[in-house]
Parts: sequence; structure tokens; C-alpha cells
Amino acid sequence: MAEIVLKNIKKIYPNEKTKKHRFGKKAKEPEKKSNLQVTDEGVVAVQDFNLTVHDREFVVLVGPSGCGKSTTLRMIAGLEDISSGDLLIDGKRVNDVAPKDRDIAMVFQSYALYPNMTVYENMAFTLKLKKVDPKVIDEKVRAAAETLGITQYLDRKPKALSGGQRQRVAIGRAIVRDPKVFLMDEPLSNLDAKLRNQMRAELIKLRHKVNGTFIYVTHDQTEAMTLGDRIVVMRDGFVQQIGTPQEVFNHPANLFVAGFIGMPQMNFFPATLVRDGASYQLKTPKFTVDIAPDTCKKLAASGVDAAKTDVTAGARPEQIELVAPGEKGAICGKIVVSELMGATVHVHADVNGSEFVLVINTVDFDKSKGSSFGIGDDIWFKFEPDAVHLFDKETEKNLIQA
Amino acid sequence: MQREKITNRILTVFFTVLSLAWIYPMVMILMNSFKQGTAITTASAFDPVTAATSAGFANYISALTKQGFAAAFGYTLVITLTSVALILVCCSMCAWYVVRVNNKFCKALYYLFVFSMVVPFQMLMFTLSSLADSMGLNTPYNICFIYLGFGAGLAVFMFAGFVKTIPLEIEEAATIDGCNPVQTFFHVVLPIMKPTYISVGILETMWVWNDYLLPYLVLDSTKYKTIPILIQYFRGGYGHVELGPMMACIMMTILPIVIVYLLCQRFIISGVVSGAVKG
Repeated sequence: MAEIVLKNIKKIYPNEKTKKHRFGKKAKEPEKKSNLQVTDEGVVAVQDFNLTVHDREFVVLVGPSGCGKSTTLRMIAGLEDISSGDLLIDGKRVNDVAPKDRDIAMVFQSYALYPNMTVYENMAFTLKLKKVDPKVIDEKVRAAAETLGITQYLDRKPKALSGGQRQRVAIGRAIVRDPKVFLMDEPLSNLDAKLRNQMRAELIKLRHKVNGTFIYVTHDQTEAMTLGDRIVVMRDGFVQQIGTPQEVFNHPANLFVAGFIGMPQMNFFPATLVRDGASYQLKTPKFTVDIAPDTCKKLAASGVDAAKTDVTAGARPEQIELVAPGEKGAICGKIVVSELMGATVHVHADVNGSEFVLVINTVDFDKSKGSSFGIGDDIWFKFEPDAVHLFDKETEKNLIQA
Repeated sequence: MQREKITNRILTVFFTVLSLAWIYPMVMILMNSFKQGTAITTASAFDPVTAATSAGFANYISALTKQGFAAAFGYTLVITLTSVALILVCCSMCAWYVVRVNNKFCKALYYLFVFSMVVPFQMLMFTLSSLADSMGLNTPYNICFIYLGFGAGLAVFMFAGFVKTIPLEIEEAATIDGCNPVQTFFHVVLPIMKPTYISVGILETMWVWNDYLLPYLVLDSTKYKTIPILIQYFRGGYGHVELGPMMACIMMTILPIVIVYLLCQRFIISGVVSGAVKG
């Protein structure tokens, strides 16, 4: 029904716009995006973006602020000009098509409801502009309100609603249009933590009720992981990786993706990869880790041949287990900080100058507590097999091909 | 604390005296408008109305009937309504355009508007009056264009200040919902700007209604008199002044504008502030 193709999409802000305005600053200017590439033409906010969003797919664009994800979304919406490249919706090039004719709906972070209209009028506005029969409008608005549970607020002005209710209205305004594509620009960022979790779950439910393709922008990786069929990780205008949440989590394409996805962050440490026949070993001054046989095969297949390679190794905090002191291959660290999060404890351990974070179930933590774990105590741990990620020191690319 | 209290009291007394000084002339005019002409002299102007000096409503009736008051009132009303309407419609659109487009031309335009507030009217009144004559802007029906020029500075400044506080996303949402720029303005921006419309409207109304110099210079005064000019004409030839009807006329002139102000003053304050705080 709605397939969106982005071909080599690029966004360049001409140089003069980056100058500071004395008044009336225009929105979405690349004022603080210092890492962006600056060419003769201007600041490049989005670089060669290639993506095919399939019908009814939910794609999440995620990245730190200023990485170009919102700009990309706004280009799809038509609020921002596309500097070069092609944007196709259902095979039709829409670069120069006005936003209203692209058959899209957008939900903004700040809700952007019309303050002078009631909830009903807000939702009916777009249909009214299209001169749809009032009876049909009424049906559609009420159906959407029913879906979102805001029927009792239809006569209220946005001012009299809470944040969560306002966001529902904003989503309702998108639903009544029955668009091909839903664009969402950090819709949950203005809500408090509890409400955000609740709305996130509702978005997942909604997604199955509504036929449509979703493109969703967020800087919150939890939202990205839970909502997305596929995730697009961006940084400084470049696409870092496109993949399912599992792929992105288990096989990050590079160091940045590995560090960005996952909470707490993946542990990184410099090491040397040593090959010994068919097996590989990871060596640091303090400890040595054997690489799992499966991974070794992949490494060999992808041609990591040098006898010694300097790498940045990574291991997710969740894939570290506590072991008995002195066990073979175990690593010993000193506890620096211990944070009780509830079900888990985050233990920060110092190993030879680099800090490791371990996520340990609170229950396990108590059990293995022969001696008391306090700050300054030794802690022994071991990486789970398959847990180790290897990144090239220079290119920061993942050495293990999925 | 004690000190603050004393300061407050002193300020209260000060402002009470000040407000009395301001209201005193009005009270005096009100009193004298009910006196017989002979009772209004320099010596007796401050005396309250007594049974002997009272003229009842005779002054008001005389002002209303004899002196062409109705025509002047009508002209003033027409000028005020057309001018203020023109200022509101044109300046709000202009301010929206200037703020949202914000290129070099718009910035220059904006500073030009602000600059026009600085230039005193007296500086250009003579060239203006001859220009108005040659362009045929000297009737009550098209003098509003001159008022538009003089009122635009303040109006654009205030509207622009408010437009800057409207989140751009609301207008973007309207664009996606299918509005063209004109529809965006009338369906979305204009309703949001309502408080500013009211405050600018009141300020401009008071100014145009009370203005004496501009209509006096521009209008053909043998044919058209506005109320402020009419009051001047109560000074007949030979130094004769009909003080009673004049006072009555002044009373009737200020009454509508005072009523308008009292009804809407809370909007003025909120409107001026809303434009000023976020800029």
C-alpha cells in the first residue's frame, strides 16, 4: 500500500543560514552540530541516505541529537527541501510535491495542537479542509477518539488536557486522515517516564489497528528497540546501521552503534587479537579471553589474518557472569561503584584502569555473597561465550561479520 | 519588612495624588458642562454646580443640535473604524510574513517599521499634508491609508513580538493538514493572535479617535470636521467662546473611548506583556 524509498537523500544547509540571526531564529538550523561535514555548499546535515521502507513497516530513526534524524523525517514530510536524491512514495517521486499532497500525517514532539480549537475541531480540521462530508468527518473523528480513549474530551480545548491526553489528540489527528504514512517526531519525549512507557505500549497496539507505514524518530533507544521492525542508527548525518532490533543489538556494525544501543553501555577495552591456527585469543595486559569457536570461524572467514591485530573489544554488561575467585580465565576487578536498580545491580569494576560495568541479578548478587561486596573489594567475573565484540581500532568497524 | 511597608505607604500617597491630578481636569469639565455659559469664568470654573448656575442638559442639547456634532461624530467613527481595521488586517499579516520568512528584505522592512515609531509626526506633517492633497487622501473615507502608515510601526512591532512566541510546529502541522499559507493564517495564526489584536486595536483606536493634528492638516476642514476639530470650532469669531456646549461636547467625545478602554484594559496589559517578554 505504501512503500517509501529514499535514494541518496542529502540535505545541505547553505552557509549563510548558519550565521547567527539577530532575531527570529529559524527552526532546525544546524547551529550546534559541530561534527557535521562542512563543504563549499554548506553544512551537510544528512549524507546519502538510502532506505526502503516496506508497506506497513515500522521504521525507527535513532541517534543522538543533531544527527540528522529529524531533518530526514522533515524531508519525507515535505517541511524541508531535499538538496539532492530522490524520495519515492509508492513509486512516485514526491520531491517537489506539497506536504498535503503526499498523503502523510505527522505527529510532533510538542503536539502542535491548534489552541483555539476543541479536540474535535483539531481532529476534524484536516478533513474539513478537504471538504469531506460532515457526517463522514463525524464518524471518523468519533472512531479515532474511541480507539484512543479520548471520547470524553472531544469538547475540550487542548489547554484543559494533560500531556498524555494532548499527545493522544495529536495521534488522533493523524489517524483520522487515514494516511499512507505516519511520521512521528519524538512524540513521547515531552511525557514523564511512566506515561511514556504506557504510551509506548499503546503505540504498539495502535500500530496493529491502523493500516499504515510508520517512520518514527527518537533519541531513546528503548523506544527504538521496542517499537521498530527495523532501526536506522544515525550519527552526524551518516547512516551507521540499518537492521532489526536484534541485529543492531547483537551485531552492531561499528563501535558507535555498539555504544549507543544498550543500557548500560557496552564495555569497551583495548586489546590485541592473536591468531593461533584456527583459534583466536584476545590479550590484554591483565587477562586473556578465548574467542568462542563460532566467532573464530567467522573471523577466519572474513579474513582477519594478521598474527596480531590491535582491536577495541566490547562486551555487554548483561553478558558478564560472576565466577568463583581464581577460576581459570576469570578477570579480577575492584568494585568502584555499585548501584542497586531494583531487579538488577550495576557494578562498576576497575580492571587495570578501564572500567567495566556488570549487570547482575540482585538475587544472584546476594547468593554469591560469601564475602561482602563493598566498594574496594575484588570481584571475579567472566564473559559469556559469544559475548565479545571486536572492532577495528582504526575504522571502528565490527570485525565479526554476521 | 517595616521599611517596605513605609515605602508602600509613601508610594500609595504619591500615586493617589498623581491620579487625582489626572482625573481633576475631567471632573472639572464634567461640572462645567452642566453650568450656564455665564457661570463659567476663570474665577468660578472650580465651583461646583449649584441650582443657580445649573443649565441642566441644555449645553448637551445645544452641542448635539447646533454645531454639526452628529456629522463630526460620524466622520470620527468612520475614520477610526476604517483605520483601525486596516491597521489590524495589514499589520498582522505583514508581521507574520516578516517573522516567518525572515530574509534580508524582511529584516530591513522590520527595522524600517521600528524606525518609523521614532520619527516624530511634526517632522513630516507639512510635506505629508501636501502629498495627501495631491493624492486625494483628504477625505474621511481614505484618510485611513495615512493612518495605516503612521500606525504600522507600533502595530507591526507588537504583532511581530507575538508571532515569535507562536511555535512553528503548529503552522507546520497546519501545512501537513492541508492548509495553504492564507488558510494557515486565517484558520490557525489569527485565532492565536487574538489577544494581540485586541490590545493593538485598543491602542490604535484611542490614538485615531483622539487625534487632532493629522485630520486638521489633511482633511478639507470646510467640509469635514472630526470631533477634536469641532471642539476647536466652538471658539467662534470675535474671541467668543461657547464654553458650556464645548465642555458638553468634550464630555461626549471622551465618554465612548473611556468606556472602550475600561472594558478592554485587561487585554491591553496582557497583550503588551505577551509581546514583550519573549522576543
